[in-house]
Amino acid sequence: MRIRHDDARCASLGICETIAPTVFEVAEDGALRLLDPTPDESLRALVDEAVAACPTGALRLVD
Amino acid sequence: MTAPLSGLDRPYDPADLSSHAFWAGTAADREVVFAELRRDRPVSWHQPVEGPLFDDPEDRGFWAIVRHADLVEVTRRHTDFLSGQGIVFDSMPAELLEAGQGFIALDPPRHTKIRRLLTSAFTPRQMARIQDRIVANARRVVDGIAEKGEVDFVSDVAALVPLHNVCDMVGVPEEHRLTILHEAELVGGWRDAEVMHGQEPLPRLLQATVTMLTIAMELTEQRRSHPEDDLLTALVQAEVDGERLTDAEIASFFNLLMIAGTDTTRQSTSHGMKALTDFPDQRDWLTADLDARLPSAVEEVVRWATPIMTFRRTAARDCELAGQQIAQGDKVVMFYAAANWDTEVFDHPERLDLSRSPNPHVSFGGGGIHHCLGNQLARRQLAATFAELLTRLPDIHVVGEPTYSSGTFFHGVNAMTVRFTPQAR
Repeated sequence: MRIRHDDARCASLGICETIAPTVFEVAEDGALRLLDPTPDESLRALVDEAVAACPTGALRLVD
Repeated sequence: MTAPLSGLDRPYDPADLSSHAFWAGTAADREVVFAELRRDRPVSWHQPVEGPLFDDPEDRGFWAIVRHADLVEVTRRHTDFLSGQGIVFDSMPAELLEAGQGFIALDPPRHTKIRRLLTSAFTPRQMARIQDRIVANARRVVDGIAEKGEVDFVSDVAALVPLHNVCDMVGVPEEHRLTILHEAELVGGWRDAEVMHGQEPLPRLLQATVTMLTIAMELTEQRRSHPEDDLLTALVQAEVDGERLTDAEIASFFNLLMIAGTDTTRQSTSHGMKALTDFPDQRDWLTADLDARLPSAVEEVVRWATPIMTFRRTAARDCELAGQQIAQGDKVVMFYAAANWDTEVFDHPERLDLSRSPNPHVSFGGGGIHHCLGNQLARRQLAATFAELLTRLPDIHVVGEPTYSSGTFFHGVNAMTVRFTPQAR
């Protein structure tokens, strides 16, 4: 599982961070960081939820 | 698909969401109408709200969104439903729109960039860093009333905690704070005779805007020559697409932060205090294990209060929503209290349940790009304020009926007396 983050679309709302805080973090400079771009399979449900919840469509799961 | 009817030919729904009487009534009265609409006509067309701020011949009416699922959908379809033409359902003169609504009434791509600038001040880590300050402000406010035994809760508690917190963050010195509180209140309160003291709304609102702009400009000038560690300095120094923000933009963001930062948490705190008085069993449950139970209690208080009752969007194009044909340019108004009482989502929404979990209320928004920037700040303030109140003034309770304000935007409480056994500070 690999996450793609489109920085141009991202508004740093942090909705992903509230759903999966070990994977996403809005950093000090206001930009979103992927703490874990290739999360473990056990996190798939949470990551799926975070990707679906992103209102700007800035997150995508590849494989 | 057939072309949607224009606002001119479309019949109005018989349910009343537009009269002064509807908005001057109680939340319980309004819920009767919302319940009918949720059940039978979830996306309905209504005549313009009575008594507008100014006469707008273009205003034909609005679509009312009352179901939780539909509100979330409108919030997330930000390319179909725009914010740039205004986010309150009254039409606003352009100068007020620009001066007062800041980035909340921007659309992408500009919104994305501006929002990100401000996000750094509201990250979870930054919130944890200012937690001590939030607790200190709650303590300072409770210190101020502890010896009195009876006070107006709205002006002496609920208004002050968020005022000090947002002013600390933005960088507003003490001498301007009460002026800001007073002027910001008019933005949501102009429909209310008690708030307005008989003054004409439009000129008084413009005057309030000028007062706020003057303070913003003065502080902006100071930060240019003397940078501080605050949000205003960040705005002064920020570059978007290689350009500095203009003074007018900074002032507009300043106004938004002041209005959104003071008026919302004030209402939630007041409604929360009333709810704790009205539901003693729930209060006993909470105080039996305050620290552990505060987080879920805060969520329920925010749902119960629904401090902002409506936000508006404008349709960017002809499109469909829950089976209704929406025409380009139509106003689409989301009713947050209606969504927070949707029985499809909430079991017995009419009951205050401080242990409610999950609690997917929409008081901070439906998860779209304009989702409340200050949601973590609001939660921390409410927790700090109620922890302080319930620990130090354990018998604090509301006496008599609060006076609620009349308006279509904030679920406002004008005044509410509380009584308690006086304590030494």
